[in-house]
Amino acid sequence: MNHLSSETFRENARAALADAHLRGALKNATSLFGEKRKAAAASLPNWEDLRTQASAIKDEVLSHLDGYLEEFVGKAEARGAQVHWARNAAEANSIICGLATERKARVVVKSKSMTTEETHLNDALEAAGMQVVETDLGEYIIQLAEEPPSHIIAPAIHKTRGQIGELFTAELGMPPTDDVAQLTSTARATLRDRFAAADVGISGVNFAIAETGTIVIVENEGNIRLTTSLPRLHIAVMGIEKVIPRFADLDVFLKLLPRSASGQRMSAYQSFITGTKRRATDEGPEELHIVLLDNGRSRMLAHPVTRQSLACLRCGACLNVCPVYQQVGGHAYGSVYPGPIGAVITPQLMGIEKAAQLPYASSLCGACREVCPVKIDIPRLLLHLRGEITPRKGSVAERLAFKLWARAMMSPALYKLSSVAGRLLQRVMPISKAWTSGRDLRPIESKSFHQLWSNE
Amino acid sequence: MNNAARESILGSIRSHLAASLPFDSLEHPVHPENPVILSKPDSPPQSLLELFAQSLESVAGHCIITTDISDALKQILTALKAQRIAISDSPQVERLLHAADLEIELGVALNAHDIFRFDVGITTAQAAIAETGTLVLDSACERHRLVSLVPPVHIAIISASKICETLSEALTLLRSGEEISPAVTFITGPSRTADIELTLAIGVHGPQELYVIIDGST
Amino acid sequence: MWTSIGVSSVEVLRRVGCEVEFDKRQTCCAQPAYNTGYLDEARLVARRFIQIFEESKADAIVSPSGSCTAMVHHYPQLFAGDTKWLPRAQAVAAKTHELSSFLVRVLKKEDVGASWKGRLTWHDACHGLRDLNIKSEPRTLIRNVRGAEFVEMEHADACCGFGGTFSVKYPEISVAILDQKIDAIERASVKAVVSGDASCLMQIGGRLSRKGSKVQVMHLAELLAAKETD
Repeated sequence: MNHLSSETFRENARAALADAHLRGALKNATSLFGEKRKAAAASLPNWEDLRTQASAIKDEVLSHLDGYLEEFVGKAEARGAQVHWARNAAEANSIICGLATERKARVVVKSKSMTTEETHLNDALEAAGMQVVETDLGEYIIQLAEEPPSHIIAPAIHKTRGQIGELFTAELGMPPTDDVAQLTSTARATLRDRFAAADVGISGVNFAIAETGTIVIVENEGNIRLTTSLPRLHIAVMGIEKVIPRFADLDVFLKLLPRSASGQRMSAYQSFITGTKRRATDEGPEELHIVLLDNGRSRMLAHPVTRQSLACLRCGACLNVCPVYQQVGGHAYGSVYPGPIGAVITPQLMGIEKAAQLPYASSLCGACREVCPVKIDIPRLLLHLRGEITPRKGSVAERLAFKLWARAMMSPALYKLSSVAGRLLQRVMPISKAWTSGRDLRPIESKSFHQLWSNE
Repeated sequence: MNNAARESILGSIRSHLAASLPFDSLEHPVHPENPVILSKPDSPPQSLLELFAQSLESVAGHCIITTDISDALKQILTALKAQRIAISDSPQVERLLHAADLEIELGVALNAHDIFRFDVGITTAQAAIAETGTLVLDSACERHRLVSLVPPVHIAIISASKICETLSEALTLLRSGEEISPAVTFITGPSRTADIELTLAIGVHGPQELYVIIDGST
Repeated sequence: MWTSIGVSSVEVLRRVGCEVEFDKRQTCCAQPAYNTGYLDEARLVARRFIQIFEESKADAIVSPSGSCTAMVHHYPQLFAGDTKWLPRAQAVAAKTHELSSFLVRVLKKEDVGASWKGRLTWHDACHGLRDLNIKSEPRTLIRNVRGAEFVEMEHADACCGFGGTFSVKYPEISVAILDQKIDAIERASVKAVVSGDASCLMQIGGRLSRKGSKVQVMHLAELLAAKETD
């Protein structure tokens, strides 16, 4: 799979800006999602209360994450689930491949899980000789196209129906069409027999309830229900931050999540799975394995500002309102997690070295903070990360510039001089080509405000 | 082997939380009061039955309110020209279907191997939520998972008395017993996707049509 | 850099009966350093701001910039845990107001006796809007400008793409975002676009002029200071 890298965000963004198809697709998708979310939020008079409550619940859990995780694990194991702990991506993949191999699995069906994309699980399973089938329509499309997802909840949003039609013709031998209903039913038919043949089903988890050991998974298509009820073995992969304290807390989250993600009052299906079946003759898998993934999440607990990042529900609302994401789309970020939330969690999960540009690729407008259902203060997080990255990675020229700037700001005499110098420089040459490539500079003033005030 | 990972992760969580303490006191996080009373939207003017029907229809489900369920079943199945009907292990469903007296092939409590051939799946529902048009199916009470999912049409039968108003009530109901059953499913309308150009397509992996027959007799 | 904003602000405040002083020692609120991650330099400059302004006997510190005002309101965060500077930062922040917010919320003045003829629209600068909740105040003030026809443009609250150093670190993205704003301005068919932040106005004005547009950019203070003879 051809993944772009976060390290080349600037170049990626440039390429994206030159792609008219992509920009059109992004404009449609983000404005439609944005309007739906806005209408759905407005339809609930207690929307702000829900956000406040959700933010408080998440803060409560994350501040006591060890206790809540242990409670969840104890309850889930008491009901027959087998729980595995994975410190990092490699360990998670190894556990999952091991489970599948031990049971001589050949076909693995997967429902959408950002966490498994984060660990590149599919590559590991294929290397272990298994056939992996993504069953979420958007994920299936990008799997066929061998591309990474470009949006947290609508992974194939960058593709037009025409492009998808061509893809289906090339890969599935389907007669050419761009009719959405036909494309969807082709995917349905093709995937049916994969479900029937599957030995293992792998899903993500939206919420893990500490009080009862229940995992909750939310969807619209039905593929998660198929993935988690047909195969003999169900593996549920979750980041350690997915825990919530009580079953009753679902009232708040199940109201916020579908509205924030796609403007729906309720998604089509919610599966509440607690352990394994009671009798052998009951429906459902024989085994439930839950894989808990750290992969850098526990580090984020070390400061209240970064801890908020873990509250994310993966709804994608911040992407849709972000002026940067709206222009460049998800691939440019070079990460499984794009957009505003991606800009803050990618450097924290993958390491600052790998994603140092991302926290600076924002105008700090704050639109993301306004729509986040759990009130993550993303601009504050961006500034926090900039404060950490700049001392390590700020260029020598920039560091010097700001040191000089600070000197000038500390002394009125120097300040006056610097404004004079600035005004002269503007007269003589463009201050920055980066500005003037697209914008004119304001004509210079002959007198400063300070001077005018003195002359009063 | 995995215990090392467990201890390592829990240890990492604890040490990083400890590192956060000096900064925590500078922030002023909001802690939930227990229990929290959220401001509740006004109660609906209509009956729960009407609200449920409205909510279901807004998500492209079909709602039939009747006192003669067998007849309703007969009409739906005849209109669909359905031949192969899969049903759950609910004796009520089997009884109602026999009373409908149709020429059909019946599959009862099928397993994964057999269910793909069937045109329609029929179950009851243990509860419903009026504010969203949601059905609540509990595997401890009825074998519902495949029959409500695999066939392209799902018909659910429920008594009007089982409809509650809010999600919160339904969650409380599920929590009220000894323990939560191994699998509970909430169903709100037929399956759908907007993954292609955000154009809504109904009927993806789950059923393309959902009929809810509500027994209006008390 | 844009002297008429300062001049107009003083004019307007005097017109509504305020006694205005200007401390010539002042330089900057430290926002550029803070936003780019140079926290030590930011604190250095912020401390100077605090020292200068806490000496003032004035009832309020007024700024014609939403982003500078928001920065001052962030001083407590910048000095979190600093037992010496935190209370001083909080005191100065509490006294600092953005111009339109000061006029409408504090002085309760919605009509400042301005007149300006023509069709105009308002751009909500991000910091003013989202950090300081300034939305209705400028609109109220504008609606009372004699001769001005106010129209709301589409997505008035969308970012203009400036974002401080973002505008030169990622210029192509900055301009791509800006062009959405320019389109909305052009569709509104106005003589001028008004905003409360000089940085937005430089961004928007710079692109309008590059595109040969006749649309003017105006700071709210300049509009409010305008009189019949202008």
